[in-house]
Amino acid sequence: MAQSNFDRRRINGPDESYQPLFESEDERETRWKAGEPRKGRAARDIRPIFLKAGLINQANGSAYIETEKTKIACAVYGPRQSKTTVYNEKGRLNVEVKFAPFSCTRRRVPIRDAEDRSVAVQIQQALIPAVRLELLPKSTIDIFVTIIENDGIEGCIAAGSVAASVALADAGIEMLGLVASSSAAVVGKEIWMDPTEEEGHIASGSLVLAGMPALGTITSVWQSGAMAPDEAIKCMEACQECCADVHSVMAQSLLENAPNT
Amino acid sequence: MAAPLVSKAERTYIQASLQATPPLRGDGRGLLDFRTVLLETGVAPLANGSARLNIGKMPHEGGGGTEVLAATKLEVEDVETGDGVDGGRVVCSVSCSPSAYPHLSSNALDELQYDLTVMLQQTIGHPSLHPQNLTIIPRKKSWLLNLDAVILTDAGNVVDALFMAARAALWDTKVPRTRAVEYHAPEEFRAPRDSAAAMDIDQRGGIPAVSGFDTREMVRTAADFELPDYWDEGEVLHGRERWPVCVTLNLLPPTHFLDATPPEEASAPVRMHLMFSFASSNSPKLQSMRLLGPGELELTQIKSYIADGEKYARELFNALETKLREEDVRRNVKARDRFALR
Repeated sequence: MAQSNFDRRRINGPDESYQPLFESEDERETRWKAGEPRKGRAARDIRPIFLKAGLINQANGSAYIETEKTKIACAVYGPRQSKTTVYNEKGRLNVEVKFAPFSCTRRRVPIRDAEDRSVAVQIQQALIPAVRLELLPKSTIDIFVTIIENDGIEGCIAAGSVAASVALADAGIEMLGLVASSSAAVVGKEIWMDPTEEEGHIASGSLVLAGMPALGTITSVWQSGAMAPDEAIKCMEACQECCADVHSVMAQSLLENAPNT
Repeated sequence: MAAPLVSKAERTYIQASLQATPPLRGDGRGLLDFRTVLLETGVAPLANGSARLNIGKMPHEGGGGTEVLAATKLEVEDVETGDGVDGGRVVCSVSCSPSAYPHLSSNALDELQYDLTVMLQQTIGHPSLHPQNLTIIPRKKSWLLNLDAVILTDAGNVVDALFMAARAALWDTKVPRTRAVEYHAPEEFRAPRDSAAAMDIDQRGGIPAVSGFDTREMVRTAADFELPDYWDEGEVLHGRERWPVCVTLNLLPPTHFLDATPPEEASAPVRMHLMFSFASSNSPKLQSMRLLGPGELELTQIKSYIADGEKYARELFNALETKLREEDVRRNVKARDRFALR
């Protein structure tokens, strides 16, 4: 029966299909319980970052970031002429995010959906105050972010903003400062920095903060979940400290790539 | 958001008057004054809960203002074979009527819808606000709560209107009562194969030792459910005191203001959306916070905005509570009295 899932361009599987059931793995017994400390890291430690600029030669600027299980590649094309005929005196920043179909536990359809756009909007919000768009009238800067593996959506947004900022610097686009971003989650009474997907599920609230550590300002805050206002403020302070650390990693990777440009 | 085009001169005019002492707004309001908010619940008879909210309607001039209609609808989902989750789930969606945004193309309208949907879904669908009574049969069937909001007209401050209407619709929602049933084949009783014996044994299919009225075992093995009373009645959705209210602070350093009209929104593009939940009056929870727009802030500024936002949200919450209780009284108690007197 041709229901809405009938896709003419691809070979369709059976209408009703179920996921295979696996034997419950040993990890089930070691699920986190309230009051236990974090597994594998200290509460305020972020995952180690591998960041390399200039990986994609075809683009004006590019960066690749990897933090344990989150892998994101970012390419920047621009500034190039706007296709629209409307005159805009400030440049436009256009961020497009794509999740690879194999990036999450359940396969994602190759069609762009709402989650792609929400990640793109947050990365754009983090970058727009930093880029000097008033110097680029009639131009567009296109940022393409590809998420190769996704371990926690807050981690993706933070790492994506970091990669995009390094890519913009690699492309030589003028900015007020490098944008660093980090995420935090409130689990029980503790604040855990840089949560993975599992940790995100057990958290009662999470927060993603992006800012420019060089100027000490914040460009984007996104918080969701039940948090007391002072818990949220503590999370933001912890994130700001983290951003300063991430900023030095970003500067280091750009310096290493400088001889190649 | 999607504001009509405002020229640079108009923009600086509005900014200068907002930053002046005393601050001046186009309609003479103070910086922290809201326009008139009109709310009515129970507007969609086929929905399980509904509300219609209007901010800034001018009765003497015949209409206008931001109008949002929100409605909830409950559907049954199968946990084992369908999309259902044990415990039920909440899905929100926002659709913008094209007549509210005549200057936007359909792509831009879609994107606006996505953005508002994500904002509503991430706040209201968060596990910390999940209502407890959305299970029908544990691990087999559960309710899917669909919260749909339609923006009919937009005259500024649409996010606040959206969250107020959503809260009112969820307050109004009644979950139908269900009862678990199990279909049981009668026990087979085989007569002894004794052709010689011509006994007429009175076999009645064994009288069970457990009484038929004992439904304790049944709930554990129940396979299906039925609705014992009329669709209209039911119990209220749990956790209705937890649903958040949103207050949007339009930031124009050194001041901020609430409830912006479209030209004001275009002149102060940096906004902070704060969603507070006042489940217990002495410890409000911040359910969601979003900073939007091309501007940067310092942490001290954000702290003061959160503190101010909490005060404004509390006033908004109290006013909304009073109105929702009045609506409850109007629709239930007074309607019954009028019916009895008829």
